[in-house]
Amino acid sequence: MKKGLALLLPVLATAVVAASAQGGRTSAVAASASSGVSCKSTLKIGFVTPLTGGAGFLGQEQLSWAKYAVKTLAPPLGLKITLVPGDTPVEQGPAPAQALAQKFVADKSVVAILGPSTSGAVAASSQTYFQAGLVHVSPSATRTSLTKGSTREATAAFLRVVPGDYIQGPSDANYMIKTLHVKKVVIMDFQEPYSTGLADAVETTLKAAGVTTIRLSAPNTTTDYSAYVTKVASDADIVFFPTQKPPDAQTFAQQLLEQGKKAKVFGGDGSNDSTAFKVPGSYVSNFAPDITGIAADKSIIAGWKKDNPGKPVGSFGPPSYGAVQVLLTAIKLACVADHGVIKARHDVLRHTKQVVIKNWILGGTFRFSTKSNDPLNAKFYIFQIQSNGSYKLVG
Amino acid sequence: MDTFIQLTVDALTLGSVYALIALGYTLVYGVLKLLNFAHGDVFMVGSVIGFGVLQLLGGTTHPIVPTWALLLLVTLAGMAGCAGIGVVIERFAYRPLRDAPRIAPLISALGVSFFLANSMQLLFGATPRNYDTFSLSNGALYFRGFDIGNVKVPLLRIITIGSAFVLMILLWVLVNRTRMGKAMRATSYDREAAAMMGIDIDKVIVFTFVLGSALAGAAGVMFAMRVPTQVSIGFVAGLKGFTAAVIGGIGSIPGAMAGGLILGFAESYTQGYVTTKWSDLVVFSILIAFMIFRPQGLLGRKDIRKV
Repeated sequence: MKKGLALLLPVLATAVVAASAQGGRTSAVAASASSGVSCKSTLKIGFVTPLTGGAGFLGQEQLSWAKYAVKTLAPPLGLKITLVPGDTPVEQGPAPAQALAQKFVADKSVVAILGPSTSGAVAASSQTYFQAGLVHVSPSATRTSLTKGSTREATAAFLRVVPGDYIQGPSDANYMIKTLHVKKVVIMDFQEPYSTGLADAVETTLKAAGVTTIRLSAPNTTTDYSAYVTKVASDADIVFFPTQKPPDAQTFAQQLLEQGKKAKVFGGDGSNDSTAFKVPGSYVSNFAPDITGIAADKSIIAGWKKDNPGKPVGSFGPPSYGAVQVLLTAIKLACVADHGVIKARHDVLRHTKQVVIKNWILGGTFRFSTKSNDPLNAKFYIFQIQSNGSYKLVG
Repeated sequence: MDTFIQLTVDALTLGSVYALIALGYTLVYGVLKLLNFAHGDVFMVGSVIGFGVLQLLGGTTHPIVPTWALLLLVTLAGMAGCAGIGVVIERFAYRPLRDAPRIAPLISALGVSFFLANSMQLLFGATPRNYDTFSLSNGALYFRGFDIGNVKVPLLRIITIGSAFVLMILLWVLVNRTRMGKAMRATSYDREAAAMMGIDIDKVIVFTFVLGSALAGAAGVMFAMRVPTQVSIGFVAGLKGFTAAVIGGIGSIPGAMAGGLILGFAESYTQGYVTTKWSDLVVFSILIAFMIFRPQGLLGRKDIRKV
């Protein structure tokens, strides 16, 4: 019996010590949460984007620009920032975005989120971020219903630095109507939120102008579009192809040529990749112009190229740089207002809406609209692919 | 009529690739009674190997060999690379589990599938890769060919369909007219009895994996000559190949060929005549229908169990 007690006592003692240590840790976290995060500590910005899968090119490009922005913009503001990337492959639906949101919310040193980059991921996770007061600024999610309409899919904690499809859809459609004088347009969607939203927006404008539209829908996993190309009428002028996988736009355009169809492919911002989609005569739209033509961006481009040798300047990266700039400015404003401490994540959110950036990387001055969480006076640009594969701004 | 012809050409192209994948499933199942769920990823690896060799040979814009040699070398490289992978998979993932309960190699197969997909992603990234056969010989593979009515059957499709049928015929000859084929059939019929008759079972099984994986490699290259390849294509392709094998009767070589073509026709005609939205639904409904009403497939044998 005595022997038993002798064994039991150390076990009990260990348990008591462990329990008190646990209690101590809990109170320390609580104290930290209530007193906020010091601006002198290393703060984290979570980055939610597809780094792998069909849209992986987009996320990788954004990541390189976001890293460069953190590296060059945080030190002058006196901030120590770590960018924490998280992968949301478009093929896996909303689950990765939800899991990442839980992870970032649980980490108290995460004070802001860059992204989610895709509209589906925003819709899947915005509520979680909102409940934690965590601002999330997307450099590329364009679905209209994220920020507008009676059934908004994103919360007030979501903002974006690029215009939505409420501008892209009508812009693309109006270009087809007024410049290309189309009579018949085939509109594809890929049974996921990005393409269906954009396809709907284009279809509505085209129909209102009396253009004949034919809607085709392909699963997001489709790789061979032959049967869809077969369904494209020989007198169709344009196939609107809002994919997030530029090589698919290339395949579709090639298969149109293969079957002798005269229709040209018109892609949305998701197919804007000059290394993958390069069939001459095709069109793409995007929320960013070619920044290599903006004089004020020369030093930024040179610095980014030094860090990313051999990589071309695309259209998805620069808005990520801008979104990081917005977040860093908001964090700095919150730090100043709260005297060196971010008392609550909500403070960063509150200041984000007030950010104004002169010499915006996409040109002009950036500020958010007072009516919605969208950028003020932003627009979409339309490019035509030239015979050498380059993108020429045409609208 | 033009639409029908065009859809038929599409169906034959798609179906012949599915058939090649299905043959790999059926060969391995026939000999080992194992569903090699890593097979779709072997197909994917074949397409990536082909891409790599294509770049080594100057790509499609500046090839250092004639077009015919380029296509042949790329296909052979895909086949050889996949054959090698098949040997490694069999040696390390399946052989140690050969006498284990049937669930064990099945789980191992799923593990190999994830391993292949993730390691390829780590090694080569997630970016889709386009063979860009369109640039080869100024688009000759797309613009040359022959016409049926108003429908053009391009050279690339003729090559794809023709090569697939040649490979299927060669396989049939190999299995039915050679000594190794005889050993494969004997092993499939009764592994123990075959071993007692002096057949080197290990050799036969390795050869089966070589054969099945090489066919997957060929299918991967043929597929990627027309559409971009990426790490995620293996899953869907594997699923379609498996479906084709089940429809045809898993374990039956002519069944796998028929199953692949049936699947290609079902997919194309559904997309063309019924709806583009539900083609996968129709395809997998056919699978379910077969599982319920004819589980042994079109040309498969009923599994007789002696008590």
